[in-house]
Amino acid sequence: MKELFKKCLIVLVFIPLGLIAQSNVNGSITEEASGMGISGINVIVEGTSNGAISDFDGNYTLSNVNDNDVIVYSYIGYKTQEITFSGQETINVVMQEDSNLLSEVLLIGYGSTTKQDATGAVEKLKSEDFNVGAIVSPDQLIAGKIAGVRVTSGGGAPGEGSEIRIRGGSSLSANNSPLIVVDGIPLDQRGVQGVRNQLNSINPSEIEEFVILKDASATAIYGSRASNGVILITTKRGKKSSPFKVEYGFQFSADQIEDKVDVLSANQFRNLVLNDPDEDGSFLGEEYTDWQDQIYRTANGGIHDLSATQGFEHFSYRVNLNSTSKQGVLKNDLYQRNALNLNLRGDLFDNHLKLALTSKGSLDNNTYANRGAIGAAIAFDPTKPVYDEGSPFDGFYEYTNADGSVITLAPKNPLAQLEQDDNRAKSKRNITNLNIDYKFHFLPELSFISNAGFDYSELDGKQFISSNSATQENGQFKNFYTGMNRNTNLDLILKYKSAFESINTDYEITGGHSYQEYYIQSDQTVTEQGTLVTKPTTIDRNALESYFGRASFDFLDKYLISGSFRRDGSSRFNEDNRWGNFPAVSVGWKMSNEDFLKDSNTFSNVKLRAGYGVTGNQEIGQNYGYLGIYTPGENSASVQLGDIFVNTLRPEEFDENLKWEETTQYNVGVDLGFFNNYLSVSFDGYYRETEDLLARIPTAAGSNLSDLITTNVGQTTSRGLELGINASLFAERDFNWNLSANATLQEVEITSLNLSDDSEFFIPQGGISGGVGNNIQLWKPGYDPSTFFVFRQVYDQEGNPIEGAYVDVNGDNQITEADRQAYKKATPDFYYGFSSNMSYKNLEFGLTFRGSAGNYVYNNVNSSTGFYANMLNPPGDFYQNGSVNVLDSNFENAQYFSDYYIQRADFLKLDNISLAYTIPFEKLVFQVRVTGTNLITITDYDGLDPEISNGIDNNFYPRPKGFVLGLNFTY
Amino acid sequence: MKNIFKTVLILFAMTALFVSCESNLDLVPEDDRETSASAFEDPGSYKAFLAKIYAGISLSGQEGPAGNPDLEGLDEGFSNYLRLYWKMQELTTDEAVIGWNDGTIKDLHGQNWTSGNEFIRTFYTRVMYQVSLSNEFLRQTTPSLLDDRGVSGDLRAEIQNYRAEARFMRALSYWHAMDLFANPPFVTEEDPIGAFLPTQIQRPELYNYIVSELLDIEGSIVAARQNEYGRADQAAVWTLLAKLYLNAEVYTGTARNQEALNNCNKVIAAGFNIPQVPYKYLFLADNDTNGSQTETIFSIPFDGLNTQSFGGMTFLVHAPVGGSMSPADYGINGGWFGVRTTATFVEQFPGEENSADSRAQFYTDGQSKEIEDIAPFTEGFAVEKFRNVDVDGNPGSDPNDHPDSDFPMFRLADVYLMYAEASLRGGGGSNATAVGYINELRNRAYGDNSGNISEGDLTLDFILSERSRELHWEAHRRTDLIRFGKFSDQGVWPWKGNVPQGTTTEAFRDIMPIPASDIGVNPNLVQNPGY
Repeated sequence: MKELFKKCLIVLVFIPLGLIAQSNVNGSITEEASGMGISGINVIVEGTSNGAISDFDGNYTLSNVNDNDVIVYSYIGYKTQEITFSGQETINVVMQEDSNLLSEVLLIGYGSTTKQDATGAVEKLKSEDFNVGAIVSPDQLIAGKIAGVRVTSGGGAPGEGSEIRIRGGSSLSANNSPLIVVDGIPLDQRGVQGVRNQLNSINPSEIEEFVILKDASATAIYGSRASNGVILITTKRGKKSSPFKVEYGFQFSADQIEDKVDVLSANQFRNLVLNDPDEDGSFLGEEYTDWQDQIYRTANGGIHDLSATQGFEHFSYRVNLNSTSKQGVLKNDLYQRNALNLNLRGDLFDNHLKLALTSKGSLDNNTYANRGAIGAAIAFDPTKPVYDEGSPFDGFYEYTNADGSVITLAPKNPLAQLEQDDNRAKSKRNITNLNIDYKFHFLPELSFISNAGFDYSELDGKQFISSNSATQENGQFKNFYTGMNRNTNLDLILKYKSAFESINTDYEITGGHSYQEYYIQSDQTVTEQGTLVTKPTTIDRNALESYFGRASFDFLDKYLISGSFRRDGSSRFNEDNRWGNFPAVSVGWKMSNEDFLKDSNTFSNVKLRAGYGVTGNQEIGQNYGYLGIYTPGENSASVQLGDIFVNTLRPEEFDENLKWEETTQYNVGVDLGFFNNYLSVSFDGYYRETEDLLARIPTAAGSNLSDLITTNVGQTTSRGLELGINASLFAERDFNWNLSANATLQEVEITSLNLSDDSEFFIPQGGISGGVGNNIQLWKPGYDPSTFFVFRQVYDQEGNPIEGAYVDVNGDNQITEADRQAYKKATPDFYYGFSSNMSYKNLEFGLTFRGSAGNYVYNNVNSSTGFYANMLNPPGDFYQNGSVNVLDSNFENAQYFSDYYIQRADFLKLDNISLAYTIPFEKLVFQVRVTGTNLITITDYDGLDPEISNGIDNNFYPRPKGFVLGLNFTY
Repeated sequence: MKNIFKTVLILFAMTALFVSCESNLDLVPEDDRETSASAFEDPGSYKAFLAKIYAGISLSGQEGPAGNPDLEGLDEGFSNYLRLYWKMQELTTDEAVIGWNDGTIKDLHGQNWTSGNEFIRTFYTRVMYQVSLSNEFLRQTTPSLLDDRGVSGDLRAEIQNYRAEARFMRALSYWHAMDLFANPPFVTEEDPIGAFLPTQIQRPELYNYIVSELLDIEGSIVAARQNEYGRADQAAVWTLLAKLYLNAEVYTGTARNQEALNNCNKVIAAGFNIPQVPYKYLFLADNDTNGSQTETIFSIPFDGLNTQSFGGMTFLVHAPVGGSMSPADYGINGGWFGVRTTATFVEQFPGEENSADSRAQFYTDGQSKEIEDIAPFTEGFAVEKFRNVDVDGNPGSDPNDHPDSDFPMFRLADVYLMYAEASLRGGGGSNATAVGYINELRNRAYGDNSGNISEGDLTLDFILSERSRELHWEAHRRTDLIRFGKFSDQGVWPWKGNVPQGTTTEAFRDIMPIPASDIGVNPNLVQNPGY
């Protein structure tokens, strides 16, 4: 009986095999460049679901293959190969890298396409093209790498935030920063409170790629937040069917300031005082102190990265642990981060259900140095000592009156400001997103995608200033600040992807609904007038609800057309204005697929693109601008009525009709690939018009409840040309040399600013140091929003400025404010970047240059410190140091508004240069890399650094020169 | 069956997509801010709002001393009402110069200001802000709104007093606007907020409006000396009426000296007196209790701990301290090295800095009387008028920054001098009574009757000088000089016209320009002549 059963089983199993004449095939898949086996290659019989995936060594086995079946070998980054089966037992395949990456997946809003099918101005930057160095802020990875994108760090502090501008800013008072979407969750454009840079929560070494959506046809699907471009950041993930891999990287960095502000030396200063007939020098000291040397140091940093990744058939993971500690060159400045990144991916039901979970947890510890020390180090008398034995100020020298009390208007000891101020903030943050992508079983063309994410952070900051500090009159200063930012997002998307075979047309239709809410809470308990006061809690909540859709068609693999539409509702506007519509359409012509170019040896890719789109902006910072709200006053601002102090209640200004700012953008572009795409060029031109501009402008006096209001007024236009070139000069087995360059020409102009046609109307902008309430820039129709507003200096025959002599522009024989003129601007006309990467066998060498032209800087250090009255006649019994520029200008009194201080600030910087050597062991790959950062700046600008985002150079935190040693082990 | 399942599943997915997920986009503040609907649920909110109108003159925002400003066009401390009003009225005259480098501040004394002057602009917006605040108060307290909110009884009666005071405060600000800018925009509680452009009113019409408002509330506002300290009463209304009538010729071309005198008489009869305490007590930290307060008709209260700003008295105490002056003598931690006076003012006092007149409070150590350069603090005598110390020299509640001293906006001495002037100008009073009033002031100033005058000394020139001696730095001087025709094309003092010896300027400067920025946003406005 038992035997019979066995036989039956054998029959049952083998008979079917014999009946169907099918065979198995196996083989190995290797990479052409390295000759190594590659895992994860998809092997599939065309037109069936019969497939396999190559294993760790590149081997595969495919069963049930019939004669004349076509076997397709494909993987992202490689050219797809097709081989017709004719009974071979073994098929070995050599995969060629797809050098132009035209078929690579390119993320776009709520979906993806490929580079060759993209119709908008979209660029992608992958990790191998990032800037190198001990970078802690992700935005620095792309500085100078992409045409039309300008990244300007706020200064040299570790992890400092940057101003990111895609195609310049389009707004005046609304936010001009791009929308940043990290692994599917849009971040709050306002940032997160209490941190140096909200992007620091994303470990730069875990970023796989940046995709920059530049024009409106690409960004309009993000509707109301898309006017300033969109940056999609994708972090690294585990690959399916990949072996367990551990990677450890360590970077050690040392930073040093390159240059100091040129101030008078102790001897120069002494001579200046003693040569002045009105001064007896009695306030001079005996020392020779370089105060800037006192406050700056060589800063060290260490970054550890440990990652593990593995992929199974249906599941993959990547885990990364990061520990960063980086000192600032300003003493006591410290940035620390401990972060855990998790990326899990799985699929179920035969690949029909895909799940992706990304979670980034980070713990930031910031010690903020008091940056007041930077200005004080310029102003403090160099003949004074740092320490003063027996001083009541913890032994630091400070200026005092005869009775020992502090001279309140005198500078305070810079080193004491750093040492006596202890300001630390902890920030915990988690950014998590769960993406579910379900392909319907009965209709695989249709998928349902849900994207649910949150970004939550908590701030806990404490600041103490010693009661012995000269800045404190009422004992110890305490400041406890806490806060919470919560950003929750849910996207629900239906996608249908199919083809009309009859007319050879692929199409994809996407529709979605999204809801996002931002919640910000802040609390503070702080010393005021010697007492600890708890400030009222502030809470701000705003929400966006959106519907969106997109349809894309590809006719005959030649003609592309894509249209998108978004309807956004914002809680910031009243019901009548709440909803805005943001359409876009774009077309592309893959000319190289036409017969007349198909076989060209020169042109490997020619594509023309054109797009149009409307986007919005509602990021005005205030949430209830359309509602008349009432703000209670604090106790310190109450008024005496009778015998009691009554707290006040203030009605706030409002604009009931507040609505979306709208930007219309046109873009045309061409993508060219030559010689099998070894040389690729991409060129874009755009024109952009912003209407109903959200600007903070003066109200008509008497019409509202403040003097300024954020309202929809005026217009700006901007236009630009962008060129990106990538050349693979050598792509040999042992020698590779890749060059890339980008250049951008752009201009922004305010075309109207208010309701009247008064051509002389302007709004002052750009507060400076020196005096109170002084401004050096203006908004005026016909000018760039960063234009300076100055007197035209008159010079003598030797070219020296004549103090107080300005051009009498209106000819009324006196110099008044009416003679100030719009002159030059802070934003560049032209900026560019250049990168080179070379590798010879195991040796790699790379560098990045970045530059800009046509930008000017107001040298506020010179204007606010470089005049004799400031040095010799300050308000009290002391002297003040200042810029050596005083010896050139010979100005007696302040001349803040002279164009003498507007200086050309074109620059060329060698951002980084790096050399790496890789040693492959049997099981281990070891790489050592040496990098120099911010090494050379070529400029005519007199001040510390020509790269100042708002164009006003005042007590700038110097960007240090750095040296980085990196070690990397991969197991 | 399968098809039905398919349809249901797709429908479900579609529903999830397009049905709004509790998408509440109607969000209102969740912290201590309120909407206009919820703000008045608290009965105390009416007084809090009234307090804001009073705070509009003393403070700059909702957080003391700074941090949540009412106005944003200029530095918050600079934007304070009293500080700017003081600068308009004093820096433009012989009584004060300032040495700072803040934008166009020096143009005020140089009388070469333009329509782009940010101090003039900000005072203009501050005045109109005060008007808007008062209008909003009146809109929020109409009988129908109070009915809707069920407000009745004592609170309702109290709100009627508040309304009268809000109208007084609006009249006060409109007077400042009329005095400085002549033809400002005109808005009342009948106008909306937001998307409209106010129309311009001409000076004579505005004069009529202010007078009619004051006459209208004269009977309903709290009786003289019966209101809480810091709040306006009938005497404040009479004083303001007296000022309007006394200057009526400037504002309308028609003199109204008799009405001026009548209103002075009403104030004088109300029971205020010139107390038997030294003149300087009027300007000390305890000037609400040290005896000098019996003279005060309307004051702007400040407090070192509760009423903090960088304008108001903080400015008036700190800015005139510098050079070798010891800050502790003034109850502060440090001077601001700003305001001094000209030789012309020093010379108003017989014996100048050594005058027997105790109102000559000059600090001269290390200071020169003449001003060669306007920037250094040591050029020009310093004036020791406002201090944050009490009668015993003890500092106020905040010994560092913010004084307790209250600003005497209207006081009896001013009314006495207005009586004398109105009488001399034919207002129908008695010159003998006027001399009696003036000698009361001079007795206090000299400590005895050595400074007394006789009827023969009572001339208009004497009145102008005496007003400067008695009321200097109390924000009267510019209006006085214009009434006497000595502000622009007549009258010379150091650095007037932006030259060291001083020169006359053109007569159009009796009126300030409408700020260019408001002309730019409001096409209804026409610039004043000359600018």
